[in-house]
Amino acid sequence: MRMNRRSFVGAATAAATLPAWRLADAQDAKVIKLGMCQDFTVVYTFVTAEYSQGQRDYFTLVNERGGVNGFKFHLDVVDTGNAPQRGIEAYERFKREGVVLVDPLSTPVSRALVPRALADKVNMITTFSGRSDAADGETFPYVMPLSPSYWSQATVLIDYIRKQEKGNLSGKRIALAHIDTPFGREPLTLLHVLSKRYNFEFQAYPYPPPGTEQSAVWTQIRRVKPDWVLIWGAGAGQIASMKEAARNGIPFERIASVVWLSESEMNVVGAESAKGVLKFEGVAGGREPKIIQAILNEVQAKGKGAGKPEIVGTTYYNIGVMAAALITEGARLATAKNPKGPISSEQLNEGLRSIKNFTAEGMLPPITITKADHQGGGKGRIAQWDGKRWVPKSDWAAADQDVIWQMIKSASDDFKKSGK
Amino acid sequence: MFYRQSGIRHTRYEQDRRLWRLPFDRKLVALVCALAVAAPFLLSDLYVGTYLMPWLLWTTAALGLNLLMGTAGQVHLGYGAVMAIGAYGSLHAARAGVPFEFSILIGGLLAASIGTLFGAAALRVKGLYLAVSTLAMQYIVDYTIVHVPAISGGSQATLQAPPVRLLGMALAGDAAYYWFVLAVCALVTLFILNVRRSSYGRALAAVREKDYAAEIIGVSTFRYKLSVFWVSSFIGGVAGTMFAFCYYKAVTPEQFHLELSIQMLATVIVGGLGSVMGCFFGAALILLAPVVLNNLISGATNTFALQVGADLVSHAPLMLYGGLIVGFLLFEPLGLAKIYDNLRNYFLVWPFRHSR
Repeated sequence: MRMNRRSFVGAATAAATLPAWRLADAQDAKVIKLGMCQDFTVVYTFVTAEYSQGQRDYFTLVNERGGVNGFKFHLDVVDTGNAPQRGIEAYERFKREGVVLVDPLSTPVSRALVPRALADKVNMITTFSGRSDAADGETFPYVMPLSPSYWSQATVLIDYIRKQEKGNLSGKRIALAHIDTPFGREPLTLLHVLSKRYNFEFQAYPYPPPGTEQSAVWTQIRRVKPDWVLIWGAGAGQIASMKEAARNGIPFERIASVVWLSESEMNVVGAESAKGVLKFEGVAGGREPKIIQAILNEVQAKGKGAGKPEIVGTTYYNIGVMAAALITEGARLATAKNPKGPISSEQLNEGLRSIKNFTAEGMLPPITITKADHQGGGKGRIAQWDGKRWVPKSDWAAADQDVIWQMIKSASDDFKKSGK
Repeated sequence: MFYRQSGIRHTRYEQDRRLWRLPFDRKLVALVCALAVAAPFLLSDLYVGTYLMPWLLWTTAALGLNLLMGTAGQVHLGYGAVMAIGAYGSLHAARAGVPFEFSILIGGLLAASIGTLFGAAALRVKGLYLAVSTLAMQYIVDYTIVHVPAISGGSQATLQAPPVRLLGMALAGDAAYYWFVLAVCALVTLFILNVRRSSYGRALAAVREKDYAAEIIGVSTFRYKLSVFWVSSFIGGVAGTMFAFCYYKAVTPEQFHLELSIQMLATVIVGGLGSVMGCFFGAALILLAPVVLNNLISGATNTFALQVGADLVSHAPLMLYGGLIVGFLLFEPLGLAKIYDNLRNYFLVWPFRHSR
């Protein structure tokens, strides 16, 4: 068909007005709008696709079952490329479309959004990312980590190591191989404090971003013969860490990782040869949890899954499900109080901050979010790679939260003082 | 057509030296300025706060880099670091209680002095070698910011910017911030436009074309190379300050990484080296195209319920964006500003075709 100018203009106008018409259509009192402005293309590629699939599948499950108290979720997913200005654009657009919660899943973007979210009173969840001190709910009422911060993860790891050493860490050497970015440097202060408390020798070995080249660091680590090595990186950096550890003869049973380690990284290193690596786990992995089974039966089996079925039940997928489940629980509490809707950002905030002992049918440690504590207790456990899957090695527990809260308070006090 | 020249006779040197010599050009500039000032009344605050404002900010920074690269011919791969120095310098000044009017100057001066220090490399090396030594600046500054908690702001490495108060009045709302950014951008634009017709600008052009030839005709390359680094770093520092206070309102090291430097470089090259208008066009393409393409594609897939994988939806805009940049540069290697110039030349002599 040949197109003349008039029909072209007509078609273009129609195309431009259609989205607006659809939007009006979605303006329903019983719809809760969520904005997922995440990084699918630049830095967080190792996690975002799986995480987002988990989130979408879970919300599909909830919507298929009729929603929470009759309310349904509407998700807007957009790529920010980890660029703060694109995150800001997406956030501002979401805000005007009536979105009551955003999830940037990126440290730089979430840091750029903190002042806006606090001023506009829009909930921002920062599961396993963002500021550790946002656990202080009184200073950051609308920033919701809803997960153990990096500080809490470090204490759980040290606690497990202490138990393995029969409660006595004195004289032991613990090394930290970390990426030299604010994220990688976050546990440093805390580990120095813990090394005084438990009397172990602590030494940090930073490697430069993006972390694909670490050989110099690991020869240094080999020389000091550490008893344990913590690895603190993400994506390709973690793979390089494990490969270099193997090359330098450091046993995998003595390597413990931050939460960012999944099946895909282990497969790159070599699933069989990487046996023994430990990691922090904030949510149960695998397909055994009831919720994951429900997603398989009610969403995937009906062809409504958001992505490939083999992703279901992987570590990052389950973290996405965890974030979605906590949002849903917050929304359930909010809608129970305001059954007529529409749910405002403040009401959802109220709901999220009254989550009590929520375990998502056994998938999570009991999480209690209060107005003071947005971290939810900081509980986690240690899992070990057995060559095929992650096997839990300890019970859900938190450790040394007193030190963490001291640090949270001093950091959030700094925040309160600034920006005036 | 449009750009009518007939009947316009410049009888005085001042008329001939004006920035815009044709009445039509002047009217066009006035119209654009009027629209820019009126934008908060014409557009929703979404577009003012998240499209126009960052566009002007990126342009301001690009203008500074363009003075260095386009006018004086010195490559700089660490312009993001210059902006970071400005942002952190002014932020710390403001947090120590210095009024904003002075903080912004402190940020600019700090960026200028450190930028000049690294610019000294330009006295000995040129071209790719200079590019690599300025790249070193980027890494050194990044490293210093991340590793000195007193600069980066402790373990969270984020500093909140205090609200801007100008002459005792607090800026409130997106529109106020936008007008302030617009004013700074206009000031920098006017400065760069005027540099080109001053003896300073002609000296820089001489340095750009051949530095020892410039030395022979009496232009001190030592002085002019250092001074152009000083001026462009000052503008970069001011732009960084504006980023921090007016747009991000919280500063983290990641905002000023190498990606920003590369973006700035791309803005200047795609827009057109040495062209003021090119900075505006370049910033529009480099900064806004990814966002617009993203929204168009996800809008299209939602509206027409296309069965496209999430991977493709997020990567297709990147491919289109890359294609656009390559396409524009193939079509006109001298940049977007040159495309406008070609159009203007065409209309200048229309209906004849002398300009071809």
